[in-house]
Amino acid sequence: MSRLQGPSSHKRKQPEPNSASGSLTEHERILYHVIKSKQNMGIWTRDMKWETKLPDYVVVKSLKSLQAKKLIKEVVNVQNKGRKHYIAAEFEPSKEITGGTWYAGGNLDTEFINFLQKHCVKIIYEQKVATLEGILDTIRRSRAFNVEFTPQQIEEIVNALVLDNEITEVESNGMGEFDSIPVGTVCYMCTNKGGRKGEPKIGAMASIPCGVCPQISLCTPDGIISPQTCVHFTKWLDF
Amino acid sequence: MVTQYGIKLGVHLMTNQFGNIVAKVCESLLRRGPLTLQLIVRFTELTPQQVKSSLLILIQHNCVQAFSLEQQDGLEDGPKANTQYLALFNNILHRMRFSKFLKIVSSEFDECKELLEGLLQHGRLTLKQMVEREREKSSKKDGNCEDIVQENLLKLLAARYVERCPIHEPVLATPVKDETTAKRRGAKSSKRNEESETIEQRVLGAAAPMDAQRFSIITNTGSNVSRETSVGEKRKYDALELDRESAVEEEEVVLLRANFEEFMCRLRHKACIENVRTRLDDGASIVLRAMLEAVRSLEKRVKTEKSVPLSLNTIFEEVMNSEEGRGMTLDRVRASLVQLGCSSSARGTDESYSIDLKKIVELAQNDEVESIVLKRYGRNAYKMFRLLSKTGCLVETEKISDTTFVEKKEAPKMLFKLWSDGYLHMEDFSS
Repeated sequence: MSRLQGPSSHKRKQPEPNSASGSLTEHERILYHVIKSKQNMGIWTRDMKWETKLPDYVVVKSLKSLQAKKLIKEVVNVQNKGRKHYIAAEFEPSKEITGGTWYAGGNLDTEFINFLQKHCVKIIYEQKVATLEGILDTIRRSRAFNVEFTPQQIEEIVNALVLDNEITEVESNGMGEFDSIPVGTVCYMCTNKGGRKGEPKIGAMASIPCGVCPQISLCTPDGIISPQTCVHFTKWLDF
Repeated sequence: MVTQYGIKLGVHLMTNQFGNIVAKVCESLLRRGPLTLQLIVRFTELTPQQVKSSLLILIQHNCVQAFSLEQQDGLEDGPKANTQYLALFNNILHRMRFSKFLKIVSSEFDECKELLEGLLQHGRLTLKQMVEREREKSSKKDGNCEDIVQENLLKLLAARYVERCPIHEPVLATPVKDETTAKRRGAKSSKRNEESETIEQRVLGAAAPMDAQRFSIITNTGSNVSRETSVGEKRKYDALELDRESAVEEEEVVLLRANFEEFMCRLRHKACIENVRTRLDDGASIVLRAMLEAVRSLEKRVKTEKSVPLSLNTIFEEVMNSEEGRGMTLDRVRASLVQLGCSSSARGTDESYSIDLKKIVELAQNDEVESIVLKRYGRNAYKMFRLLSKTGCLVETEKISDTTFVEKKEAPKMLFKLWSDGYLHMEDFSS
């Protein structure tokens, strides 16, 4: 290609101040065009090579140059962290690439999520009953975070807490503790952890070794794995 | 339907308590369904005498019920020709719960514990036998024993913990096979199992004494006529006759036994109340207990789905009667009812409330399974399992990992593990 466009590439090498792509080589231009066309999804180096049919070393060199010129940026693809993924500078990577609000650098930002969750539980515990708006409001006013959360984000956090059995979701009936909340509104309360502080109630099956044993389907009284020879069972019986 | 492991457990229990021979007879009945004496002899390869003795023991201890099918052609060969014996699997398992039953009675009427113990040990006793037993134990020579026993017995009968034994050999009308083939479709084996379940229900239904008689020791000696009419009355299955060779003696001997059904009912209520206490709060559990106490004698079946409806006033009265509930206000009771998810039927002044017990049991069952998942697979699996349980339909892997905040790489692995162990249902839509 470069051979065909020999004379014109010579022309193109002259810098044009108003054009962002003015100082690009032909290869760089092709690559940039491909990357830009993928918009916020970006593209993986191997796919780039396949699409442009350019040799390896050319691609590597051009990418470096484009990055230096701040025309493209490298992003981490949460699905495949090992791959080098590039996106045009003017785009923000899509949710599929980054993983969403709660992902940072390709990994789930568990520390941040846990911190936010603890904060929400504290709010709900103090207020006894809280609605989504109430929680959001309290967070805003507390200024504990320097980011602004959307109701949807708080809802995601709170839903995960429900699944974790830290809080329960209830509907207001307008009576008693719910008297300041309109009937039918979804609100949240801390779960009653069996009356004991922080000790969740373990089910009957889960409190015996056999209930949670991964080998239960292989265990028979006269087999290699048997109750008579089971270490866990012996230990449990020794009380 | 009894599973293989169930049969194994049942046989193990019988072997421990009654020995190999009785266990062998029991096993053949559990595996093959109702059998006649000859068939049992054939299958177990025991002598007829051994089988007979075993059956007597099993019947004495309420683990087997005899019955016969009505002869089609009207000719009566004689009752022994077609008497069949049915193993009562549930009653065999209840033997493991005897100490729990004793505990229930000792917490309610401690003085009656001895009496119940005797009934559990011996399976069935007459009043005379109970008195004898009491006499031996207390070594009192005076006639006080009889009064004591009668008094305690009446208490247990009033609470329905003791009942009259069923009829020895009820006759079932019309061959069961015709009905069931018309109704049921499906694999032969499941048909057979469903048939035997229907047989068991029919046999037990036919054998059970009438409600009025069931918890009374008053005998109706000397009035055959009245007995026939009273029996003939409200039977679901027609053509039920009294056992010809049975207890139609000059003096009707009343045999009594522990009423497992009532104990199971109590235990079920207890479990529901405990579940409510941990899941909601003390107030709700007090209200629930009061409601269940108030209608104790009205519950017909063990596994009732909804409690008997009660008015708010009745509930409040009952709550006031209980020790813990004394301090509760009407508003608090009302709030607890709402917490319990009580549906009140009929508007206005005539509101009545009933609790969905089935739902409480379901929630308790869910708690158990979730507890296992948490302990066996960890917190992430627990969250994902709860999400799927709550949603009740297929959810995409990506959505699961997003909602539960599990790493996108981790989620599919964990879900696959849960699926391969049978906790989840998976469908693959990739083309």
